[in-house]
Amino acid sequence: MADRRRINGPVGTTIPPIYDDASEKKSEVARATRSRPANVIRKMYLKTGVTPSASGSAYLEIESSGNGGSGLKLSCSVHGPRALPRSTPFSPHIILSTHVKFAPFATKQRRGYIRDPIERDLGTHLEAALRGSIIADRWPKSGVDIIISIVEGEQDRETSKAQGIEAWDTMNALSGCITVASAALADAGIDCVDTVAGGVAALVQDAGDDAAPSIVVDPIPSEHDKVLAACCIAYLPTRQEVTNLWFKGDLPASDMDVYTQLVEKGIQASKSANRVLVDCLNETVG
Amino acid sequence: MPLDTSAYSLALLRVDGRRWNELRRIHAQIRTQAAADGSSYLEMGHTKVMCVVNGPSEPGPRRGATSGGGGGGGQSKNAEVAVNIVIAGFSSVDRKRRGRGDKHILELQSTISQALAASLHTHLFPHSTINISLHVLSQDGSLLAALINAATLACVDAGIPMTDYVAACTAGSTSTYAANDEGADPLLDMNHQEEQELPGLTVATLGDSDRVAVLVCESRVQVSRLEGMLAVGVDGCKQVREILDRVVREKGIKMIQEGTVERGVGLNDMELD
Amino acid sequence: MASSQHVLLSPAELAYLHASLSLTPPIRPDGRSPTQFRPLVAETGILPGTNGSARICFADGTEAIVGVKAEVERTRTRHDFPSLDLDEGAEDDDDLDDNQRDVVKGDNDWVEMTVEIPGYRDDDAGTVFLSAMLSEALLADGEFTKRLWINRRFHWKLYLDILLISPPLSYPLPLLSLTTHLALLATRLPRLKSEGDEDPLFDDDWAAAPYLYPRPTGKKGSKKAASAPTARPPVTLLVMAVGNNIIFDPSKEELAVADVALAVSVGESSSSSSTTSTSSSKPTAMDLDTEETKGHNLRLLSVRTIDPPSRLTPPGIPNASNSAYGANAGAKDTEKKKQQQEQARTAESEAVEGVWKAPRGGAKPLVMAALVQKVLEKGGVADEVLDALDGVDLN
Repeated sequence: MADRRRINGPVGTTIPPIYDDASEKKSEVARATRSRPANVIRKMYLKTGVTPSASGSAYLEIESSGNGGSGLKLSCSVHGPRALPRSTPFSPHIILSTHVKFAPFATKQRRGYIRDPIERDLGTHLEAALRGSIIADRWPKSGVDIIISIVEGEQDRETSKAQGIEAWDTMNALSGCITVASAALADAGIDCVDTVAGGVAALVQDAGDDAAPSIVVDPIPSEHDKVLAACCIAYLPTRQEVTNLWFKGDLPASDMDVYTQLVEKGIQASKSANRVLVDCLNETVG
Repeated sequence: MPLDTSAYSLALLRVDGRRWNELRRIHAQIRTQAAADGSSYLEMGHTKVMCVVNGPSEPGPRRGATSGGGGGGGQSKNAEVAVNIVIAGFSSVDRKRRGRGDKHILELQSTISQALAASLHTHLFPHSTINISLHVLSQDGSLLAALINAATLACVDAGIPMTDYVAACTAGSTSTYAANDEGADPLLDMNHQEEQELPGLTVATLGDSDRVAVLVCESRVQVSRLEGMLAVGVDGCKQVREILDRVVREKGIKMIQEGTVERGVGLNDMELD
Repeated sequence: MASSQHVLLSPAELAYLHASLSLTPPIRPDGRSPTQFRPLVAETGILPGTNGSARICFADGTEAIVGVKAEVERTRTRHDFPSLDLDEGAEDDDDLDDNQRDVVKGDNDWVEMTVEIPGYRDDDAGTVFLSAMLSEALLADGEFTKRLWINRRFHWKLYLDILLISPPLSYPLPLLSLTTHLALLATRLPRLKSEGDEDPLFDDDWAAAPYLYPRPTGKKGSKKAASAPTARPPVTLLVMAVGNNIIFDPSKEELAVADVALAVSVGESSSSSSTTSTSSSKPTAMDLDTEETKGHNLRLLSVRTIDPPSRLTPPGIPNASNSAYGANAGAKDTEKKKQQQEQARTAESEAVEGVWKAPRGGAKPLVMAALVQKVLEKGGVADEVLDALDGVDLN
């Protein structure tokens, strides 16, 4: 669908030229490698109550990968619970509507103002993740809007080869969305069974083909040679339940162990993110 | 690719080898789908369409929920005939995707909706909707005619009372408007190639009568030629009606033989072989 | 649309359905066994105007048609696409096969998938979710787009149009996935006559056109075991869990009482391609793969949680908190009222036998793992489905 209401910039990539440093050999410009241990997530900053006009809001920033790359910056606002419009049929539960939108400048490839399929897909995932955590029958006949704008997407500015990496970035974005939306819901005072947080784990292959693939938590795709599979998990720690699971990749069916480990690591990442989430909420209350 | 019409006068054969008054092969089936109230599949040459009818039913809550309007449609005294056409991306030779808001599709939808609303007994179903959804799987000219025929068959299958078949077909003329050829012969049932080049019209009539239910002419043509084209078109519609009628009767006989339905009292004169 | 279409079942009906599905063995409303699919009618090659097409009709009347159309498109030379430059072949930052100079590369933009569900807009969240899921599975292994490569300058652009003909009576995912699978199997691309990087020229003879997914060379009628396993398009299966039971291909009503529902995409790769592709150079898996020439060489491509519509169902009210049964009778003084409210709270959060309550929270990771395991295990449902699809006559 074309956006005819605004004057849009040119579509296509706008990558600033990067000049080779003559003193360095070209092949030396190696990409960043992972410096964290395999089971540690990046540092994140989370704050609730950033948008006074919304009933609940939160802002999340994830540390950048260091190498000139940008971290993830998300802002979420929750409006509601509020009465549904008259024409809507009766609903015994609260109706969630989730909007995830990349800012036009969030990624290398400019995003338009109308939500593209990836953003809609993220919205559906987010809805599934949150619906499990909300006690929906406490608000019959009402609705709540959860609006997330991704101010800055996670992308490495140095690597020019973007091939196939976006797909994995989407997973990181989703896990951020889940965490920040959960914080904003808590800020809005909407009853939840638990705080849900997102976590990503990936099966990656590092330098050289002979190295055995390893599982890392909170992966940055550009730091690895190849991402074989990844999974994003939304987890409720006190109930020990998963509300949303999204696995993508290519695993032989005989390797169920790898899959199980991947899910476990995803849960672990989610638990770590949850700790930040709970700390942040305690801070606001206390 | 320009159509070479010069050869027609030599052998009086069209590009696909038909005479001027020949229909293409029409193949139709009804009750193709178990879930719907009525369904049909119709081929006119290489034009293939599928139709699914649901209703008459209460206007769905879903429609109200998505559009936010609600209510509106169900308040009238007559049933609303809602037509939805999906033209598949793979239907034409070059893939072309039409969105739902496409003006051409909207026009087709309203034409079919009005034609059927006039022949269906919509007054029997107040506050309700008849949903007709049409899928175009392959296009080779006479699209509107094929859609109308398929919709008629599906409505018959759905058991919606109607005055008679609405049978449609196209008619054209052997030379272009620019040729200004007064003696041009009319043509029956145009294919895609002919539609591109030659003037043509789509006509639908109600059953055996000469009463025209739909007449659409979107090309430039001399008035003197129009009458001949229309006469050929109306004649074609009668042939189409026979074919549709045969399809319905054959299916009916089959269903009686299979015991799906009871043999009615008025059917004594119908031979079941 | 999503899975969350409104189900018109009362709380009592839901409770009954949930109870009968939780029995061992579960009793399904249509009498199927837990792993049994709805019977279906399938045909391929129904539309001569397309490169490949298929139609599937489920016994409950839902029907889908998929048409595949291919067009030649010029490959955009991207400056950030090193393998397209002639002198950069030596750089090993890509997964090139060393023995091949002309690196066959694919791009996910070469496949365009559209899903049409009658009555829903094409940018509806549910429709987008369906098409994202189907294309994700197709593109997951990165092998598929390589099939569309013609030469360095040109490639095929594949358009997949997925039409649901009937109204979506049940969640259409398995139907659409199976139809897409068959359409892709039946897809043929014209045989290339030109060589190298010339402008592509194709053979007019459609009979000579090779299949997008090459057929096994063995005799067609012979058993699967005789022919080597070949690559197949992915299949996405819908699995749900109720209580301790795992149920496949749920109908709309069954999905309405699901505790958890998963869409699992399974692919099959040929053993030869998995040896060359660097993506699967896991030594242990490799050995296993070569041994099992008989079965399907399954690969797990994607798993997604489907938001079960059960979360949106109306809850039943237990007698304890139902005023019609005297729950609040005589609650005059505020003290007593408070107590009553307290009771209602506990009633709200605790399950009462025989009273339907929409599930809250998520699913245990073990349950989810069991669902996936059930799909993938040897001789499991995925194997069965692929075997059954082998039986479809591809013309």
